[in-house]
Amino acid sequence: MAEEVLQDVFLKIWDKFDHYDASKGKLFTWLLNVARNQAIDKTRSREISKDRKTDDIQNVVSKIDNEEYIEQRVDSIGVKDILKDLPREQHFIVEHLYLKGYTQSELADEFDIPLGTVKTRLRLAMQQLRITLGVTTT
Amino acid sequence: MNKHEYISSGILEAYALGELSEPERREVEHHLAGHPELRTELDQIEAVQEKLLQRTAITPRNAVKAALFARIDGQPPAAKGVSMPSSEARMWKFAAAASVTVALVSSYLAYNYYDKWKRTQGELTERIAQSQRVASDYNQVNQRLDKIERDIHIIQNPAFKRVALKGTSHAPASLAYVYWNEDTREVYLSVHELQHLTRENQYQLWAIIDGKPVDAGVFDGGDAGELLKMKEIGRGATLFAVTVEPRGGKPAPTLETMQVAGPVEKG
Repeated sequence: MAEEVLQDVFLKIWDKFDHYDASKGKLFTWLLNVARNQAIDKTRSREISKDRKTDDIQNVVSKIDNEEYIEQRVDSIGVKDILKDLPREQHFIVEHLYLKGYTQSELADEFDIPLGTVKTRLRLAMQQLRITLGVTTT
Repeated sequence: MNKHEYISSGILEAYALGELSEPERREVEHHLAGHPELRTELDQIEAVQEKLLQRTAITPRNAVKAALFARIDGQPPAAKGVSMPSSEARMWKFAAAASVTVALVSSYLAYNYYDKWKRTQGELTERIAQSQRVASDYNQVNQRLDKIERDIHIIQNPAFKRVALKGTSHAPASLAYVYWNEDTREVYLSVHELQHLTRENQYQLWAIIDGKPVDAGVFDGGDAGELLKMKEIGRGATLFAVTVEPRGGKPAPTLETMQVAGPVEKG
């Protein structure tokens, strides 16, 4: 399914590229938003249509593969090192928002955290990561 | 608006994640335009986000690329055309211009080559005619040379008697030679100087055998120095003479018109 989404994302970027406005933000951010929204839409639509229950074995296998893949990546040394300095609750937020594909409101609902708290925790985590990743304050 | 509170709320992070609704986005963009500090803050959030996610990047299987291009190829053309209509139109214009140019250049070249081909064809015909002329000239010269060689053989051959025919009182300046081989009966005449004749008349050569004139053939003035082959005559000629007779000759000589004459030397 991840590969299917990837294809959708590429096509979407291709089609909507003239909507990108360099004055509003970095290209990477725009690409991220397109990709993330596409991925979220895809998983939601599958959940709503109960597609997962009728998935053939191939898709189930690949879904499991991909989930394991993401787990591996989160546990891989690079990201682990970056996130290790964060307090547990911030680590949790970053991991779920950026690596597990949750939206802020999903995260709030599912784990019973107020949306405002999700936002401020992310804010704090991002500030910490500036130091870890060496993004300089100008 | 309190900028510090605004930033602390985490709304810029949400904006960078693409989590905001359309009205919220527009509001953030409005604030960003008016406050450079917010822009700086957002830039840093975006930078962190990018660096973090680049660490987790996964290279997709090659099959994904193939499948993607298969899907692009399968799409209706409209979907592809949207993104760059102007450049496509420009490309068509360029293609049209290029093909017109190619057409012009090739027709010019075609005409040019046709012209060259025509001229070459003409030159070739001329050259062929020229070489034919040269060949026939060569032939003539060759034949003339053969003739001269034969003449020299006759002149040098001791079997031929050389008889000098000197001008009579009618034509004192005239001169001719007869080469006569008594054994083979061949007679050749070499004209050195004879008067010009009218078209109605011809010269006639006579041999005197046993006191009687014998016809040895008629001839026109002829080229000086060349040997003319005359009629064969019998043995025992004592004198040769040339008279002027009507064209075609006569059985008996007209003695009044005798031009040259000369006796055969005994030997």
